[in-house]
Amino acid sequence: MNPRTRRALEFVLDHLVWFMLLFVLVVFSLFIPHYFQLGIFANIIEASSVLGVMSIGLALVIIAGHMDLSVESVAALSAMAVGILFCSAGIGIGLDIQPAWLMVPISLLIAIIVGGLIGLSNGYFIVKMKMDAFIITLASYIWVRGLVLAISGGRSAQDLAPAIRWFGIQRLLGLPLTAWIAIACFVAFSLLMAKTPFGRHLVMIGGNETATFRAGIHVKRNLIIAFMLAGAIAGLAGWLLTIRTSGATANLGIGLLFNAFAAVVIGGVSLKGGVGALPGVYAGVLLLSAINTAINLMGLPANYTQVIHGLLVLAAVLLDSFKQTLRLKLA
Amino acid sequence: MKRTVLAVLGMVALGLAMLQPAFAQTKGTVYYLVPTLLDEFQTGSVSALELFLKQVGYKMETLNADNKTDRQQSQMNDVIALKPKAIILAAVDFNALKPSVEKARAAGIPVVEFDRQITSTPSDFTSVAGTIEIGHIAAEQAQRLLKEKNGDVKGKVLQVLGDPGDPYTLDIQKGFEEKMKAFPDVEIISLPALQWEASNAGTIVADQMLANPDIDLIFSHAAHLSVAGVASLEAAGKKPGDVMMMSSNGAPVGLDLIRKGWLNVEVEQPLYAQAAAVAMFMDKIVNKQELKPGEYDVLGLKSTLTNEAWGPNLKIPGAAITKENVDNPAFWGNLKPPTDTIKPVE
Repeated sequence: MNPRTRRALEFVLDHLVWFMLLFVLVVFSLFIPHYFQLGIFANIIEASSVLGVMSIGLALVIIAGHMDLSVESVAALSAMAVGILFCSAGIGIGLDIQPAWLMVPISLLIAIIVGGLIGLSNGYFIVKMKMDAFIITLASYIWVRGLVLAISGGRSAQDLAPAIRWFGIQRLLGLPLTAWIAIACFVAFSLLMAKTPFGRHLVMIGGNETATFRAGIHVKRNLIIAFMLAGAIAGLAGWLLTIRTSGATANLGIGLLFNAFAAVVIGGVSLKGGVGALPGVYAGVLLLSAINTAINLMGLPANYTQVIHGLLVLAAVLLDSFKQTLRLKLA
Repeated sequence: MKRTVLAVLGMVALGLAMLQPAFAQTKGTVYYLVPTLLDEFQTGSVSALELFLKQVGYKMETLNADNKTDRQQSQMNDVIALKPKAIILAAVDFNALKPSVEKARAAGIPVVEFDRQITSTPSDFTSVAGTIEIGHIAAEQAQRLLKEKNGDVKGKVLQVLGDPGDPYTLDIQKGFEEKMKAFPDVEIISLPALQWEASNAGTIVADQMLANPDIDLIFSHAAHLSVAGVASLEAAGKKPGDVMMMSSNGAPVGLDLIRKGWLNVEVEQPLYAQAAAVAMFMDKIVNKQELKPGEYDVLGLKSTLTNEAWGPNLKIPGAAITKENVDNPAFWGNLKPPTDTIKPVE
């Protein structure tokens, strides 16, 4: 095999999920009526903003060799906190801050702090107390959702303050600002993972924690930061969710966790840790969103969404093994 | 160390003391098995039942099944062992709970079906508005709205269901489509919002408004799904009234949307009346007395009690809430429980 073919093949292997995305978009555009239009593509990007942001935090922890099952409930709690404070109907208390634009950074900060604190508590138990990440974050998944129910009493908050809701309505180049926030997060965290020592250390920790420790890297500190970041990012996802639905309900975001896992795996992140890049995760999120939209437009029963998601995850894992085999042959 | 142990034991004892049932109640404890607390109708039903049952002398305990059939079955088994005066059941799954209902009745515990009718086995009392009937009322309203807009009952309707695994939403769909069948010029696009999650409904509305911009009416099976639908419409630059909207269950958020002009109709489930009816008949149910068929006045609503194959069934009419009557305090969505004390049926 000549070097040029080898390079081309490696490029395809490295960006396989993007090619898959392109493939499904072309197929859906050709065969599904009304699919091929800018508005639908904007919808795909917009609908993937919450899941996308949540997947970033989850991917960080998985790359570092752990997992976080609490992100969905954390997003719901942040959404409910913002909803209760800044919505004026339902259980919303309609906090009025002047000038109105101040509500944006304050609500965002509240969402991030709520998420960050839960992430920190997860990190403390897992890293300092050496408890199992699966069990600790599963416990958080349950108690945090319970807390959402407790503080809301099962009721919902609506009518988000217009200054915050503005992000869901205003468009830039045809996309709502919430979608741009998600894109900006992917760019920022991709750079963080690829260009900073912290990002590289997380990959190293996920690859071999003991070797990384022996290399003199602060494994515990980095892991706690990773869990805290996952929580804070989930808080941001909750903030976006509140904007998207103009409020918060007690069951908001239910089911997002499994989609986030699916997106991360499809995006090429290894559940064993140490492998994966965030741009691939974004492609995974867009792929799921493109399929959901196709199912919506085809009018297929929603159960098919879950069947297709499951098959996609399976296909992604099989493709991943195929990629590894091919790489070995190329080496 | 001794002091710490004593302090901990003291706190445990205090905690246990607080968990003891209140023996001050005169007529005993009734258990309410609620399917979920993640929706406003269900949380509203807990407070309404508690309020009305207290007025007629019963203490109520609530167990939440988190929409899980197996959990509700276990709860039924646990509650049967506690031998309460009665069990009020709002079943997660109408059929799966049949054996549990039979087991409770075999143990001499009366079972009351609340809001969700179980017709496959007898119960001691059923208080419902009827999920299929809610679909019927919604269909009548849809016909009216389409006629007003298009001059005839024709056009396109987007029906946003709840979770496709929930018989409640499937029954509403059945009732709605049954009545709409007579109008072949109405195209109905039905899509489910998985797990009743609001943002799923928002995505459906956003996608469908692009694929079918001529949609005349959006009918969501719960008010909180309409909220997300409105958010999507707003993001697409629509104003109140551009697309007609309707939802069912009469939750406070739905009433707010009517006031803001987004929602044309909310089909109300008469929550207060359904709960009040349970309290009105509770003495007779507990004492296993005969419930006489006929018309009863339940919080001003004419309700009909019939003897069905599945036992005494009280049907309370649902109502269509529009801009004209939205402030009526009788609607549970206005969160103004009736102040009159419930009187047991003689």
